[in-house]
Amino acid sequence: MTAALVDQPVEPVSTAGGMLRRLNLVTAIAGGLILGLAGWLISHSLLQDDDLGSDQVVLVTLSCWAAGFMIGIGALNGPIGWALGRDLRHEDELFLAGKDQGVARYFRFTTDHKVVGIQYLVVTMVLFAFGGTLAMLIRTNLISPHSHFLNPQTYNAIVGLHGLIMIIATIIMVTGPFGNFIMPIMIGARDMAFPRLNALSLWLIVAAIPTILSAAVLGGIPTGWVGYAPLADQAPPGMDAYSVFIIIFAVSSAVAGANITTTVLTMRARGMSWNRTPIFVYGTVASVGLAIPAFPLFMASQVLLQVDRTQGGQFFVASGGGSPWLYSNLFWLMGHPEVYVILIPALAALMELTPVFSRRPLFSFNAAVISIAGIVGLSIMVWAHHMYASGWAPDLNGPFMLTTEMISVPTGLLFLVILGTVWRGRIWTTVPMMATYAMLWNFIIGGITGIYLSDVPADYALHGSMFVTAHFHYTLMGAGLTGAIGALAYWFPKMTGRMLNERAGYISFWFVQIGFNVTFLGMFAVGLAGQPRRVVTYAQLFAAGNFVSTIGAYSIGIGMLVLLYAVINSWLHGQVAPANPWGAKTLEWTVPNPIPLENFEVLPVVTSDAYGYGEEDEPASGIDPEREPVLAGASADLGPRPVGASNVEGGP
Amino acid sequence: MSAESIVASPKRRRRDEVRHIAWLWLGLTILLVLFSIWVPARLMGPPASPTMRAVESTMTVFSIAASPVAALVWAIAIYSLFRWKSRGEPTEDGPPFRGNGPVTASWAIVSSVLCVFLLIWGLAEMTSTTSPAEASNPLVVNVTGQQWVWTFSYPDQGDVESDQLYLPLNRPVVFHVSSRDVIHSFWVVQMGIKVDANPGVTTKTSVTPDKLGVFDIRCAELCGLRHADMETSAHVVNPADFAAWITQNGGHT
Ligand SMILES: [Cu+2]
Repeated sequence: MTAALVDQPVEPVSTAGGMLRRLNLVTAIAGGLILGLAGWLISHSLLQDDDLGSDQVVLVTLSCWAAGFMIGIGALNGPIGWALGRDLRHEDELFLAGKDQGVARYFRFTTDHKVVGIQYLVVTMVLFAFGGTLAMLIRTNLISPHSHFLNPQTYNAIVGLHGLIMIIATIIMVTGPFGNFIMPIMIGARDMAFPRLNALSLWLIVAAIPTILSAAVLGGIPTGWVGYAPLADQAPPGMDAYSVFIIIFAVSSAVAGANITTTVLTMRARGMSWNRTPIFVYGTVASVGLAIPAFPLFMASQVLLQVDRTQGGQFFVASGGGSPWLYSNLFWLMGHPEVYVILIPALAALMELTPVFSRRPLFSFNAAVISIAGIVGLSIMVWAHHMYASGWAPDLNGPFMLTTEMISVPTGLLFLVILGTVWRGRIWTTVPMMATYAMLWNFIIGGITGIYLSDVPADYALHGSMFVTAHFHYTLMGAGLTGAIGALAYWFPKMTGRMLNERAGYISFWFVQIGFNVTFLGMFAVGLAGQPRRVVTYAQLFAAGNFVSTIGAYSIGIGMLVLLYAVINSWLHGQVAPANPWGAKTLEWTVPNPIPLENFEVLPVVTSDAYGYGEEDEPASGIDPEREPVLAGASADLGPRPVGASNVEGGP
Repeated sequence: MSAESIVASPKRRRRDEVRHIAWLWLGLTILLVLFSIWVPARLMGPPASPTMRAVESTMTVFSIAASPVAALVWAIAIYSLFRWKSRGEPTEDGPPFRGNGPVTASWAIVSSVLCVFLLIWGLAEMTSTTSPAEASNPLVVNVTGQQWVWTFSYPDQGDVESDQLYLPLNRPVVFHVSSRDVIHSFWVVQMGIKVDANPGVTTKTSVTPDKLGVFDIRCAELCGLRHADMETSAHVVNPADFAAWITQNGGHT
C-alpha cells in the first residue's frame, strides 16, 4: 500500500519529476500538433492522394495527434524510464502527485486522484456545454415543421455529434469526477491503486476530445450516434474522427475500470468489510466493471469499420459478403450495458446521499447491493431488444423480451431502497436531496415507458420514433444526469472547499426539471403519434408537440446556464465549507478542507457502516419509543460509534 | 380509544401517516388509470389493423398495470416531501430501522408477478399479431428501400410497381422488405408494423388492413441526407378497386 511511503516527509528537491517538470497541457497540444502534422504530411505523400482529407489521411492524422498529445503530456515518461531501468524516486512520485504545484498541477500528468477528479469534472462540464449547445440547435430547428434553421446535412451531422458527446459525457459524469475524487477517500485510501493509470485514463479522454470536435469540420457524424453501417461506410471523414475517438475512449475506460476495480478490491480501509462499504462504491465498481467487457466490443466495431472504410474491407458490406447486423450486434452488445454504466453510479450517488438528508439508515442495504448486481448481470443479456424490428433474429425476440422485462425487478428494488430510506425520515430538502425526488419522478416515467418498448409488438410500432428518444432521455437525463447534478451539489463542498450557492442551485433545479418534463412529455406525444427520430422536418400533425418540446428545452438551457454560473461563482467566491456540512458519516467527510495530499494522516479503521443514523440516540423526541420488533436488531453488531469522529477509530 | 390526548401517541401517528399515504396512493392511482385509459391510445390515433389495435390495447393495459406502482412511489415521495420535511438542517435523526423483510419480500414478489404478467401478455400478443397473416393465402408485396424512396411491387400480380402502396381491405399481406443501399426501416404508422429494410437480405412483416383510407409510411431508420422526406402513403381500398388499380397498371389479378 502507498501508506508505507509517506511516513517520512521529504523536502521537495528541485529535480523531482525530471522531465515531467517541463511537460504540461501546452507541450501536449504542441506534441499533438507536431505529430499530427507529420502524420498528415507523410500519409498524404505516401498515399499520393490528391484529396487532402481522405479517410486514410484523416485516420492517420488524428491517431498521430493523439499519440503526440500523450507524449507531450508525459504519459510515456514512466514506461520509457521503467524500460530503461530507471524507477521513480519518492520525490518524483510526490511531484507526479502534484505536490506544491498550485493550479499548475491541473494542467499536468498529475497522479493525485483528487486532481484527476477535478480534471474529470471540468472535462465533463465542457462536454455537456458542447452537447447541450448542439441540443439547443436541434430543438431550435424543430420548433416548427419546416423551420429551415439548419439544412439537412448540418442537422444530421449535429444529431450524431450531440448523441455521441452526451453519451460520453454521461458515461464519465459520475465515475469520473466522483469515482476518482471521492471514492478513494470514501474507502479510506490515500490514492488509487494505479495513480499513473488514473492520469492516463483522464488524459486519453482529453486527447480524444479534439478528435471528436474535429468531426464537426470533417462533415459531422451523419449516422446518429449509433454509427450504423453501411450508412457509416458512406459517411464523410467525420466518421473516421468518430472511430478514433471511440477507440481511444475504449482504452481510457478499460484503464479506468481496471484501476477503480483494483482500488476497491484491495485498498479499502481496515475493517471496511463488504457490508460496511458505502453503496456509492458498489455503484462505481458496477459501472466501471460493466464497462470493461462492453467497450472493447465498441472498439472492435470501429476497427472493423475502419478496415471497411480505409482498406477496402467488407465486414459490414452486404454485397461483399459482410453483414450490417454484425455491426449492430457489436454496437448493442456495448450499447445496452452502457446504459447501466451511466445509470447505476448516478442512482448509487443518490442512494448515498438520501440517508444523509433523511437522517435515516439506508433501507435494506442488501437489497440495494443485490439489485445493482442483478441489473449488471441482466444488462449483458438484453442487447437485442434494440433490434426487435431489425429482422436479425425474430425468433429471439421472445427471449430478449423476457430478459428485458426481468430487469424491472431489480430496478424496482432500487426504488424501494430510496422510499424506505425517506420513510419517516427528517427530510432536509437541499439541492442534492431534491435531485433524489426528481429522480423518483423522472425514472418512474423512464422505466414505465421502457416497459412498453420491451414489449415486442408495441416496439414494432414505437421503434425509431420520438417515443424512444423521449424514453431514453427520461432515463439517462431525468435519472442519470439528475443524479450526477445531485452528486455534484452534494460533494461540491468537499471537492472545492466551498458551498454551492443554494439559491442558484434551486433556481437551476426548477428550470431544468420543469423544462425537462415539458420537453420530453411533448416528445412522447409526438412519438406516439408517429414522428420518426432524427428528422429535420416533420408533418404538420406534430407541430404543437414539437413547439412545446422546444420551449421546454430552452428552459433546460437556462437552468443549465444558471448551474454553470453557480458552479463557477461558488468555486471562486462561495461560502467556505466546513469539513462536514451535511452531517454525513462516510469517510470523505472526516478529512479536513483542503484535503491533504494523501488524504489521511493516519489511515482510518472502520467499525461500522456509514448509515447508523438514529442508532445511538435515546428516543428524545417521543417518536421512537415503541420499536416494532421487525424493525429493530439491525444495529446490534455494529459496535460503538464515537460521536463526532464518525467511523474513524484511530490509526494502526 | 376514549382518552384522546391533544398530541397523538406515536403509534397512532404512524397509523395516520400510513392511512394518509394510502389515500394519496389511491387518489393518484385513479388519476393515472384515467390517464391510461384516455391518453396513450388516443395519441396513437385510430388503428388501421388488428395489429395496431392490439398495440394500443397493450399501451392501455400496461399503463393501467403500472399506475398503482407509479402512484405508490409518487405518493410516498410527495408525502415525505411535505410531511416529513424538516425545516433546515435536521436537529435529530429519523428512526433507525434498516429494512423490513416482509415489505422487501412483497415488493419483490409483486414486481415479479407484474413482470410475468407483462411477459405472458406480450407473448400472447406476438402470437395473435403474427400468425393470422401467415396462415391464409396472403397478398405478397415486395418493399424496397433506397435513398430516399420506397418502391412496392406485387410479384403475384404481374410485378406491378408503384411508389405508393395499395392494399385491398381485409386481406392479409406479407411484406418482403429489402434495401438497395443502407438500412431503412419500413413503417406503416397506423397499422403498427415496422421492419428494417436491410441491404442483401429480405426481412418480413405482415398485417391485415381492416380500415379504408390513406395511411402514412415513413422511414424509421436514419438513412442519410433526406431521411425525413422518405415517406409515402398506404391506400387501403376495396378489393374491387384494388383489382382495378392492378389492371390499370398493367398487372393481372
Ligand atoms: Cu430510409
